[in-house]
Amino acid sequence: MNNDVLNNQETLTLDDVCENCGLNKETIMTYVQEGLIEVSNDSSGHILFSQFHVVLIQKAIRLERDLRLNPAGSVLVLELTAQIDALKNKLKYFERQNQE
Amino acid sequence: MEYKDYYDIIGVEKTATADEIKKAYRKLARKYHPDLNKDKEAEEKFKEIGEANDVLSDPEKRAAYDELGQNYQAGQDFRPPPNWDQDFEFSGRPSGPNAQPEDFSDFFEDLFAKAQRQQHGTQQQGGHRQADFNAKGQDHHARIIIDLDDSFTGAKRQITLKVPEFAPDGHVQLKHRTLDVSIPKGVREGQNIRLKKQGAPGYGKGEPGDLFLEISFKPHKFYHAEGVDLYLDLPVTPWEAALGGKIKVPTPGGVVDLNIPANSKQGRKLRLKGRGIPAKVPGDLFVVLQIALPPANDEKAKEIYETMAKELDFNPRSHLGIGL
Repeated sequence: MNNDVLNNQETLTLDDVCENCGLNKETIMTYVQEGLIEVSNDSSGHILFSQFHVVLIQKAIRLERDLRLNPAGSVLVLELTAQIDALKNKLKYFERQNQE
Repeated sequence: MEYKDYYDIIGVEKTATADEIKKAYRKLARKYHPDLNKDKEAEEKFKEIGEANDVLSDPEKRAAYDELGQNYQAGQDFRPPPNWDQDFEFSGRPSGPNAQPEDFSDFFEDLFAKAQRQQHGTQQQGGHRQADFNAKGQDHHARIIIDLDDSFTGAKRQITLKVPEFAPDGHVQLKHRTLDVSIPKGVREGQNIRLKKQGAPGYGKGEPGDLFLEISFKPHKFYHAEGVDLYLDLPVTPWEAALGGKIKVPTPGGVVDLNIPANSKQGRKLRLKGRGIPAKVPGDLFVVLQIALPPANDEKAKEIYETMAKELDFNPRSHLGIGL
């Protein structure tokens, strides 16, 4: 089956991401400015995105649409959710350790 | 087809005001949003409340639903009378912010969606037709749990996903779907594997969406992962910790030697560079020393402890201001 990992390799141009998410450039740049994603530049100064970034942007857009958030709000929600997930993982680990 | 009690789904009285419905819906939407709630039932529930809200938040649909549903209870067999909607005026637009009628139940479809489509048809004669509209299908998302070892070596796994679907009677039922997935070497928790064109079918000539699988690790006997790094609790003897020395440590790539510095304390973290999850810059394996005390069960062991007590000038509680 045709599949690939969405790792952090930044290989997508802004045009690629527009096509992937069906969004315009301004909307995508909003998330860069809000700090949802950290992008890098290629040798000629163009911004490059990873596929993981695309997944994050799509999540943010779903949250905005469904919960009537603005980009600042959805970015905050995603950051807090990531923190909670990390804490839950740690907690699970320590709980397991205590049982042993 | 079963009658759906939309008031019950949103959790309000039949007499609820538009504001009360809005408030109840928003609270549930936050609770069950599939990007925030990782329970398997959340997505199903989110669709259900979206459908209920679509009807109850639209005065036209709510009125029609109320009139129709007076004598029904949830789960009862339901059949709309023929042409029941002829006296109602529908504005023919999806009302909610997230109205995606293709996700809604047959119950909804029978009552509202068909009426809307018919209207669209007559309004748009000769103009754009549904078939001219091409777009990529929706992407689907799922979470899978794999062994840490699979990430080290890469692996082929068969996975079974449960897909909620609406049965002809309006019930949500789970369909099983089996897929062969290649787990790429070095995949980490939280990363996604994309299966191209395995999502929802496209519209018109549009391509199907993709299926994204988010990776979680099964708890491992020895290691736990944080990003690309691994952690291992390693029991050591008090003399190994105090005197230092070389000991053997298991890593996912095989056993390696680790140098323990003299006077290591309980919980000391030692790094084995590059022994974590494989990547361009591989993660590290952190070994956390856990000092294990030998039991004082026999005369010999007791004697050694007693000698230490006599010979060593050691008060671990001195910082508490307490003498021995």
